[in-house]
Amino acid sequence: MFRSAAAGVAGASTLALPEAAMADEVDTSGAVGVFIDLTKCEGCGACTEACRTKNEARYPEPVDDIPVNWPTGKYEDWSDKRDLSDRLTPYNWTFVEKAEIDGQTVNIPRKCMHCDNPPCANLCPFSVQEKTASGPVVINENGCMGGAKCRDVCPWDIPQRQAGVGIYMKLAPGLLGGGVMYKCDMCADLVEQGGQPACVSACPTGAQQFGPKEQMKQLAEARAAEIGGHIYGATENGGTSTFYVSPVPFEQIDEAIAGRKTELPEPMRKTVPGMAPDVENYLDTAGGLATSYAIAPIAGIAAAGWAAARAWKGGSE
Amino acid sequence: MSTRQMKSRDRIVRQSFENRLSHWLVAISTFVLIFTGFGQMPMYARYGVASLPGMAWAADYQLTLVLHYAAGAVLVFAVFFHVLGAIVNSRYGIMPRKGDVKESAQIIAAMFGRGEEPPSHKYLAEQRLAYAFIGANVLLVAVSGIIKVVKNLPGIDMNPTFLFVTTAVHNAAAVFIILGIVGHLAAFVFKQNRALLPAMIDGTVDREYAEHRHELWYRELHPEPAATGGAPLDDVPLEQSA
Repeated sequence: MFRSAAAGVAGASTLALPEAAMADEVDTSGAVGVFIDLTKCEGCGACTEACRTKNEARYPEPVDDIPVNWPTGKYEDWSDKRDLSDRLTPYNWTFVEKAEIDGQTVNIPRKCMHCDNPPCANLCPFSVQEKTASGPVVINENGCMGGAKCRDVCPWDIPQRQAGVGIYMKLAPGLLGGGVMYKCDMCADLVEQGGQPACVSACPTGAQQFGPKEQMKQLAEARAAEIGGHIYGATENGGTSTFYVSPVPFEQIDEAIAGRKTELPEPMRKTVPGMAPDVENYLDTAGGLATSYAIAPIAGIAAAGWAAARAWKGGSE
Repeated sequence: MSTRQMKSRDRIVRQSFENRLSHWLVAISTFVLIFTGFGQMPMYARYGVASLPGMAWAADYQLTLVLHYAAGAVLVFAVFFHVLGAIVNSRYGIMPRKGDVKESAQIIAAMFGRGEEPPSHKYLAEQRLAYAFIGANVLLVAVSGIIKVVKNLPGIDMNPTFLFVTTAVHNAAAVFIILGIVGHLAAFVFKQNRALLPAMIDGTVDREYAEHRHELWYRELHPEPAATGGAPLDDVPLEQSA
């Protein structure tokens, strides 16, 4: 259904779809992933349209009188900008970045990368964001307070905030929280039923493929080797479920995106994700301290034993 | 009345070095944990804390997370040190006893000048209850915190419902600990309790205070009838375990 709707929008046929994308049933029993071949993406926007069609029923419908956040005096409202399709917003969970590099346009479908160890989900103060067993990282819209920490700890600023909706409106609107965060969930509902994300189904050129994660990674590696290209997503942020292959180095793509960002007003810059290679995971530094939790109890017991022995020796206590 | 005025030369040991070490390790790490824990909520940037001079770091989630981990490890160390030390030395005087709620009510009423304070052991009934309350919540916050640390490691995914409950317990226990600390400090609003302050600093309390307020404990220390009117006793050296 989504495929045909999107194909209609794109005005393209599905004849050229490769096997993996054609398959209605994908093995989603294990970890799944997406392979995006940038040499094939023509930037038609079918993926963006398909995403909107699939998800519009879940788009936020804020109150008319959105509370102003105390004490900043700000709030994030995208409800009158629903048509924006060239960046991430609460109403646009995937878009095609058009990076101009050496006079050529590289079309890059952007959306949540679905990290292996997602800082967004792990660091959510209320644990209302989860990484599902097969890989999609999903925000629970009913529990999200809209503090936007997930966006701050995401290397790509993926989750986007809409004010005037969500649980904070029932608590202390204006004083606590700020809305609900929205992002691509890899169409977790479809994936759970053995289907594939709407964007992948809609892609008329086969630039996006969906399937078992390991298989997608291998396809990306093979394609990169074939064209002497570059891979993005396999190691970034500690590894993700998305594997881009580009004929152009990602440093150049990142620079081009950074150039576009500077033209945007400050609050809008977080709607355009960069592509810095080898970006590190927010949790790595703290993770280095995790072993101290294995040492601390042993050290505590040893110190108590030492103190007791000392006391007995001294004949006091 | 200041602490200095209360300090007579005639003092007895109340808290061992190990107890004071446990107390201050828990206190300092808990303070850091509370501050950095709130830092993990998106608060300090929004509410202007990070705009205060020298406080910009407070809005850095990565930095506050590392500090939270480090202070958490200190707390876990202190918990094990304290609990094992209590077991090894059979020090259970601070564990709650039957009738503590009623007795606490009597003590508090007496502080307001209503009725007589019942004779106390080393710890007042309300202290035993406060210890149990704070201690139980420290255990909850520590166990749930360790689960959260493990969850943050690469390659480890846990059941979302389990994690939601764990986080809720962690946050709720933290709030209860804050309430417990407020109560703990509020105790020193009352002059009667201030004589106990030096016990957590140099480990001693005024002999006369102990004799009057912790009569049962004092008698345990000095089995002879304590009717000497607070005359110096030489059997409890001041620097017993420092």
